[in-house]
Amino acid sequence: MITMKRLKIVALTAVLGILALVVRVNAQDPAEGEQIFKNNCAACHNTNAETLVGPGLQGVSQRRPIDWIVKWVHNPQAVIASGDKYANDLYNKFNKAQMTPYPGYSEAQIKSVVAYIDAQAAPATPQAGAAPAGGTQAAPAAGASNGGMMEYILVALLLVMVLVLVALLSIVTTLSKLASVDPESEAAQNVPFLQRLAENGKKLAGNNAFKTGAALLITLLIGKATIDAAYGVGIHQGYAPEQPIQFSHKLHAGQYQINCNYCHTGVYKGKGANVPSANICMNCHNAIKRESPEIQKIYRAIEKDEPIQWVRVHNLPDLAYFNHSQHTNVGGLECKNCHGEIEKMEVVEQRSSLTMGWCIDCHRKTDVNAKGNAYYDKLVEIHNKDHKEPLKVQNIGGLECSKCHY
Amino acid sequence: MFTIKTKGFLVAGAVAIAMSSCRDTHNNPGTEFAPNMYHSVAYEPMTQSEGDTNTINPHGMNMRLPVKGTVARRYYPANLSDSVKRALLQEDLTARLVPSDSIAMSEAILKNPFTATPENIEAGKLQYERFCQHCHGEAGKGDGLVGKMYKGVPVYSSDALKDVNDGHIYHTITYGKGRMWAHGSQITPENRWKIVLYVHELQKQ
Repeated sequence: MITMKRLKIVALTAVLGILALVVRVNAQDPAEGEQIFKNNCAACHNTNAETLVGPGLQGVSQRRPIDWIVKWVHNPQAVIASGDKYANDLYNKFNKAQMTPYPGYSEAQIKSVVAYIDAQAAPATPQAGAAPAGGTQAAPAAGASNGGMMEYILVALLLVMVLVLVALLSIVTTLSKLASVDPESEAAQNVPFLQRLAENGKKLAGNNAFKTGAALLITLLIGKATIDAAYGVGIHQGYAPEQPIQFSHKLHAGQYQINCNYCHTGVYKGKGANVPSANICMNCHNAIKRESPEIQKIYRAIEKDEPIQWVRVHNLPDLAYFNHSQHTNVGGLECKNCHGEIEKMEVVEQRSSLTMGWCIDCHRKTDVNAKGNAYYDKLVEIHNKDHKEPLKVQNIGGLECSKCHY
Repeated sequence: MFTIKTKGFLVAGAVAIAMSSCRDTHNNPGTEFAPNMYHSVAYEPMTQSEGDTNTINPHGMNMRLPVKGTVARRYYPANLSDSVKRALLQEDLTARLVPSDSIAMSEAILKNPFTATPENIEAGKLQYERFCQHCHGEAGKGDGLVGKMYKGVPVYSSDALKDVNDGHIYHTITYGKGRMWAHGSQITPENRWKIVLYVHELQKQ
């Protein structure tokens, strides 16, 4: 009995399997169609009704007979030339842009592609490129530190002061407790904690050592503020001005990984890195996010032929010469060595201090990238004769005044 | 409870702390000691100094568009004994005669001045990564992060594109094709030709 049942099940499964196989062979293979479509058609056609470069292909098998489609794919020019009305209308509608002919594909393959398109249309597929939610305007951390070493010393001093304060307070509390009332007595227990604290505070205020300490602390704080302010003169570190268009480097350089050089065209070949002109924005924004009010500002600037007045963030003093290509192309530095993690900044901020000390520091530490550059061969040879350290930027004039100030 | 002296100290301290903590708003570059040493008096290409903007050019710009048809000569050698440089100059001048809508003409007459040496292909790859990859993808499959948003980016190895020649690719970079816009303003002719070499590598993949 059991074996019979099992046999039946096996037979049924086998029959079903063969049936499925037959059906699969007979029908066009949407999987193959998908492969062909993605490789060849997807650049210009959507599988939905939306126009890309050419018309959206949703329902194409209902619009045109399959023979026509095959003929068209094999040689669109011939179909247009034959005077076919539909083909000519299409040709004119798309500004006489001709579709690339694909004579290499067999009828079966083209049918597979059509089958794939129909299969895509069955479950509604909204393919509109939903714009990612614009990130929140993360305000860059304001308040740059300038003191460096000074800062640490002051913080340490502050800590010591606080410790002394705590010690003093506890001593005063203990002493006053012992002196005034018996801790076990009723009166001591009944005095509320806050009142006790206030009393102790008053006593503390009268304490000479405390007064001296407080005065010293305040003097130090004033001193630090003064020194900080003096050191901060002419240093724009942390400067993150609002720009005329809310361009996000985090989105472009971070999320979409567009290379810096794509927009800053001069960075490997010129003194300045260049702020891109509007035509570079338009390479993408002729199609992407056209409705955004920020993007509309670009369109307006182009229509009126006006420059977009970006606010300069990094400004090296005019008294110092700096050349980007020297550092990026010759020295092989990364942009982020000086500009920080731009790809994470919603609003660009000056991260480095750009002081002379900062420049010199790097020139002292950095090895010259002499590999594969015959210009340096002789220099390296001479340098290695009487130095153990590798050739640094300072050894080839990186500390000379007139290298940058002239 | 405090003496006047102590109070004075406390107030001064509070004022000092308040002043130092509110000094930097992110829109303010801070104090400049000698602004005329920071901002160039001479015109710089992209200067934006308040007050005395350029009064000669429109919109106070310091840069002007070159005259139409200007040929930049700075990347070409003074003497043309270097055969590669000579060919580069020749191809660039020829390419300027090709109308922007005539890709067939570029296909027919332009030839890459660089040969497909490993160094040149490597240089082309570097330029490809900087200017093309975000749309065309690492392997030229049209699947770059931007390309997915932009749509309509072709696959280099597709049947329509796997055999396109030097001139075709050069023309496409320079003037654009289909949905792609012109990139001639961003990439020097030399680098365009090197990108062409690398695109040929990707066509084979």
